[in-house]
Amino acid sequence: MSATTGKKKGGGFLSRQAKTKDKGQQLEHISEDELLKKNSVSPDDVLGLTKITDNYLCPPEANIYGIDFTRFKLRDMDSGSVIFEVAKPPPAEEDEDVDPDEIDPNAGRFVRYQFTPQFLRLKTVGATVEFVVGDKPVSKFRMIERHFFKEKLLKSFDFEFGFCIPHSRNTVEHIYEFPTLTTEEIQDMMDHPFDTRSDSFYFVEDKLIMHNKADYAYNSGA
Amino acid sequence: MNTYLEDLKGLDNAGKTTILKKFNGEDIDTISPTLGFNIKTLEHKGFKLNIWDVGGQKSLRSYWRNYFESTDGLIWVVDSADRMRMNDCKQELQALLVEERLAGATLLVFANKQDLPGSLTAQSIREAMELDEIKTHHWLIQDCSAVTGENLLKGIDWVIDDIASRIFTMD
Repeated sequence: MSATTGKKKGGGFLSRQAKTKDKGQQLEHISEDELLKKNSVSPDDVLGLTKITDNYLCPPEANIYGIDFTRFKLRDMDSGSVIFEVAKPPPAEEDEDVDPDEIDPNAGRFVRYQFTPQFLRLKTVGATVEFVVGDKPVSKFRMIERHFFKEKLLKSFDFEFGFCIPHSRNTVEHIYEFPTLTTEEIQDMMDHPFDTRSDSFYFVEDKLIMHNKADYAYNSGA
Repeated sequence: MNTYLEDLKGLDNAGKTTILKKFNGEDIDTISPTLGFNIKTLEHKGFKLNIWDVGGQKSLRSYWRNYFESTDGLIWVVDSADRMRMNDCKQELQALLVEERLAGATLLVFANKQDLPGSLTAQSIREAMELDEIKTHHWLIQDCSAVTGENLLKGIDWVIDDIASRIFTMD
């Protein structure tokens, strides 16, 4: 039994929130090396990590549900403008001449973002992801995303989508306040491109099925 | 901060996604039928809201019951210009309201598409859907237009206030 955010059985939302808080204090820190030895990785395991991972904690084949992220969009809620949008081209447009042996198995699991320094001064943003689901229903789909600058945890998302309909196309937008950063921190992040990193962990029924990574630079156009 | 869960439900083409997008200041020019869900998590009036918009096509409605758990507020969206399906609309809502997991949830009925000529008034829909028969839920019918944004905030604020007072009384 694990505490979660989002939709879950019984007791109404508020009592579950209380449980979530209690649980948070009991989380044990576990090292990445220990996690790599486990058969399956749970949400509590990754919530106990204190830094960005060096490895992927599950193979690409763990995604047996055909879950595929097809769009990512970021908008500035204060100006209403879209800052960034990327959509995956439909499969038909992919290059068919590539030798299968040359395909990096981790391609598609890592994204590099290059933003301008202005990005760090945003106040409220809306981050949308769109994903499709294969021919099986998916239960208890949950995302945990952790952003670090060097060893500092900047932001941790934890959201349970719950059930996903077979063959569905779904979107979720999180509208949130950007973490407040000091002038020194902003300068430090600009001066150290790609030391800002994120791990995105996706679970179905508390088992890790996808692990994506990204890194970020904020010196673009500077 | 307290988090409330709200579900947007209604027949296909009622305007659920348009309401969700308009409420969040998004472009509503290109909206296609929802073949899954759209979720928004946001802060409004000091509360954290998770709003679930699940597709309303007939083939998807059997999946709705997967989305009722811990719903604090149900927003039922009616296409006020779709006179032909007002009876379907009534039956689908009645079927939802007997769901045990929705017991106690606040119900807002949005009489959407008031901008369209020939749309029924909120009063007519209230009668056609026999809303006055509902004794199991706090409910309100609110006329609105997702396209102009008229009364969206008013309706959603009512839901939040009702959920908040309900939960406050429980404590």
